[in-house]
Amino acid sequence: MLQNPYISVIINAIIAILFIIVSSLALASLARLIAKLFKATRIQQENTFAGYLFASPWIVGFLIFVVVPLGFSLYWSFTDFRIASKEPINWIGFDNYIRLLTADSSFRASIINTLYLTFLGLPLEMAVALFLAVMLNQKMKGERIFRMAFYLPVILGFNTAVLLCWRLMLNGGTGIINQLIRAMVKAVPPIGWVQRVLIYVQELISAFFLGISNQSFTLFNRVLEAGLPAANRVPLWVESPLWSKMSVVLLIIWGCGTMMLIFLAGLNNIPKDYHEAAQVDGAGAWRRFWKISFPLLSPYIFYNLIVGMIAMLQIFEPIFVLYRDNQPLLSSAISMVYYLWNSTFRQFEIGYGSAISWLILIIILVVTLIQFWMQKRWVNYDLY
Amino acid sequence: MRQLWHILKRVLLYIFLTGATVMMAFPLFWMISSSLKTVQETNSAGIVWFPPHPTLQAYIDIFQNQVFLRSYFNSIFYTTLALVGTLASIAVVSYAFSRINWPGRNLVFFLMLSTMMIPAQALLVPQYVFFNKLDWINTFNPLIIPGYFAGGAAMVFLLRQSMSQIPKEMDESAVMDGANHIQVFWEIILPLVKAPMATIATLLFVGLWSSLLVPIMYLQTVDLYTLPIYISTLYNINLTVQPWPTIMAAAVLTTVPLMVVFFFAQRYILDSVVISGMK
Repeated sequence: MLQNPYISVIINAIIAILFIIVSSLALASLARLIAKLFKATRIQQENTFAGYLFASPWIVGFLIFVVVPLGFSLYWSFTDFRIASKEPINWIGFDNYIRLLTADSSFRASIINTLYLTFLGLPLEMAVALFLAVMLNQKMKGERIFRMAFYLPVILGFNTAVLLCWRLMLNGGTGIINQLIRAMVKAVPPIGWVQRVLIYVQELISAFFLGISNQSFTLFNRVLEAGLPAANRVPLWVESPLWSKMSVVLLIIWGCGTMMLIFLAGLNNIPKDYHEAAQVDGAGAWRRFWKISFPLLSPYIFYNLIVGMIAMLQIFEPIFVLYRDNQPLLSSAISMVYYLWNSTFRQFEIGYGSAISWLILIIILVVTLIQFWMQKRWVNYDLY
Repeated sequence: MRQLWHILKRVLLYIFLTGATVMMAFPLFWMISSSLKTVQETNSAGIVWFPPHPTLQAYIDIFQNQVFLRSYFNSIFYTTLALVGTLASIAVVSYAFSRINWPGRNLVFFLMLSTMMIPAQALLVPQYVFFNKLDWINTFNPLIIPGYFAGGAAMVFLLRQSMSQIPKEMDESAVMDGANHIQVFWEIILPLVKAPMATIATLLFVGLWSSLLVPIMYLQTVDLYTLPIYISTLYNINLTVQPWPTIMAAAVLTTVPLMVVFFFAQRYILDSVVISGMK
């Protein structure tokens, strides 16, 4: 079957479409038959047929591409299945999961890195998104152009091309970001102090997280004892394990446009008279934001929090482009999905990879459920 | 005095927003500027905002590179094929969820929404084994065909919301005149949801064009590389001096379609992303 790859895809696509049509007709007829058995009226039968006919592409796809794969991967996660080997598949019980959770340092590192992104990156991203949304929500000319500009990074997003441009910009020595930092410090010396404090704090946090994943805090103590960094120090974004995660955070903040649009929608939904009444009572803009806008925004904050956390758990492209095969650095930035890709598609350990997939799935479900449970305490639905 | 303070606040706001815009768009500017530099200029110790003698050498080089041209074609080919089928199936399924009353609709719809919780990555491994069995490794099939089954619950949700807002009388009167569901779908409903369809098409395009994880899993020969894979191979960690101008020229050419699509679709996207986000 190895002819021209393009023609063969088109043939396969046509086969797939025919398959969808046939299976939809079959499913719809079956549904109509069942409706008939339940003595439905003729119109109900027709609606059943049409409904299942139109919905079948999704139903069939759901069975083929979601239910069956999930079932198989659950089974494989308890086996030592390797795709390349000819040996029979052995049932090994919970061994994969035990190995993942106790013995596998890369997986532990990927979880710790995700925690770093969630606790440091996500709040920063949401704060910037909220701030930009508040700034844009002032009824002015040209608002649309700014909105477009802030959304642009989402479109460019995690395209390899754009990520490589970031790689160039983040270069420690000659990258434009560090050159700008140096130029700014030179022009306005007080910025130098701010920069040194920020570097110190960031490196401490980073070293702390690295300490958890390495189970040794010597690096943390070293950074702590070294005190404020020298005046000519700049962040080594893509060269130092203490910074590799921060550059991913930078990318995430840059792509905060979707969150910003959602906050903007939330701000638009707040009735004008709330603010006007508070203004009459003499409340300033700052007070009005924290007492009126912020509590009423909480459903939107909640939504962004859930979507954002799930996105942090699934991050892949930035790690792949910035740190692939970069041995000393990789472990300080590795993400769960990168690790999944590496063990499944480079080492072909299907059983182990399935266990990783299921752990990711379970973690996402648990995190989301906890969030939904916690929302009762702080999300305010008065407006809705 | 009050007036003056008001004007000052506006000016400060505009300065801030312009500054933020510059920061947001900066990588794009830097990409273009670097693609016109020489290798020495991209690694220079001083800031070269824009090369004093812009050179198109990088573009000339990249256009003579067969692998690049081939991956460009591959990207266009697979994106188009996947986009058309995915969009069509999403429209059909949304119609079922919004315009027809059938037993089990709410249950199936709830199932579909709950699949949004399942990360795509959890399905990668078993799907890989499945496509391996079908002998689909090193073909475009795994990148295209799954979408034909209305892939993307969030998109279906968005389109269903728009279709639900159309008054019921529209199709009821058509049914009176003897139209069947296919006619109602094609002649009445679809023309009314052009804007959300444009949004979905744009979001799908962006996702497909930038997709990296699925293509690198299935496309292992150079002939089949899509642009994101090819570009990621340009950056080689083992080199001491990276050919940045060439990489950036390829990057500029990769982002051009994204920019064009965004430019034409932004009026749909910026309004409806907001709606899709909230229930």
